[in-house]
Amino acid sequence: MWTRIKWVIRIVLILAVAGFLHYTLPQTDIVRITRTYNQVTPVGSNWMFYSMGDVGTGVEASNSRDIRFIDAVFPDGSSVQVYRNEDTGWIWPPYFKYDSSNLQAEATNYASTSAAPQWVAVTHYGWRLAIFSIYPNAVATTPVAGPDVRIVPWVSIIILLVLAFVVFMLRRMWLQFWERTIDPVVADAGEAWDAMDARADAMRDGAKGAVGRAGAWLNTWRSPRK
Amino acid sequence: MIFGWIRLAVIGFVLLTVVYLLVSVYSRSVRREKLEKRFDAGGVEGTRDAYIDAGMTRYRGSLRRRLILLVYIIPVLTTVVTIYFVNY
Repeated sequence: MWTRIKWVIRIVLILAVAGFLHYTLPQTDIVRITRTYNQVTPVGSNWMFYSMGDVGTGVEASNSRDIRFIDAVFPDGSSVQVYRNEDTGWIWPPYFKYDSSNLQAEATNYASTSAAPQWVAVTHYGWRLAIFSIYPNAVATTPVAGPDVRIVPWVSIIILLVLAFVVFMLRRMWLQFWERTIDPVVADAGEAWDAMDARADAMRDGAKGAVGRAGAWLNTWRSPRK
Repeated sequence: MIFGWIRLAVIGFVLLTVVYLLVSVYSRSVRREKLEKRFDAGGVEGTRDAYIDAGMTRYRGSLRRRLILLVYIIPVLTTVVTIYFVNY
């Protein structure tokens, strides 16, 4: 039972972290831009998927904003993508984008027809989920030679490597903290109580890994096994 | 915009200070453990405390301890580079 609960918690955590990273890390689409425009857009309970309220397009006090959009079509000619083009502000996500007007002008410049297509790599983050009226935020547009250009996501690779290093170091620091600070205390307590109560032993034996420690702590509340 | 910038600087400084303190405590702890193990392995003269104290004094002036300042420098550089590539 305990094992199963542990696995459910782990899977939910992994999915949450993966979803968060997938939303936040930059991705690149090769598309043909068909139209650029502004649209007054209601921002309500889906505010989390828009820029924070202080990025300065002027109408944030109301429930709608005038947001720049970029329409695009994928090389297959039928599936489309709609990007919003908003400043990100200075906290989250940390793209520090404040050139939305310029980006809109570039996108307008690259707009083309299916007869004379100009393929463009649009770097963006976020998701297009029609049901919540949310759009990925375009960060950069770069003209490319053709629809088959391959783009290596170096930025995401580097960020993921750095994150892996941070997690590794946090684990090392946590283990060092337990080894040097907590374990000696637990050991002392164990020696003092050894004669009186076998429970301290059970606690030390069970205290392997963070979850094991939590479990060992829970065990101290149970009546001793006969 | 200026307000947002100042808020970023303040929050960033506080967070990085927490990281700095955690890393310094960890680094010091690792060094002390290494000194203890080296003494316990034998072949060192003098008392254990004196050996460890001398080692920790040397650590205080070491390059490794100063390198922890990179905790502040690297994020600031990353931010500047990001701003450059996103906006220019």
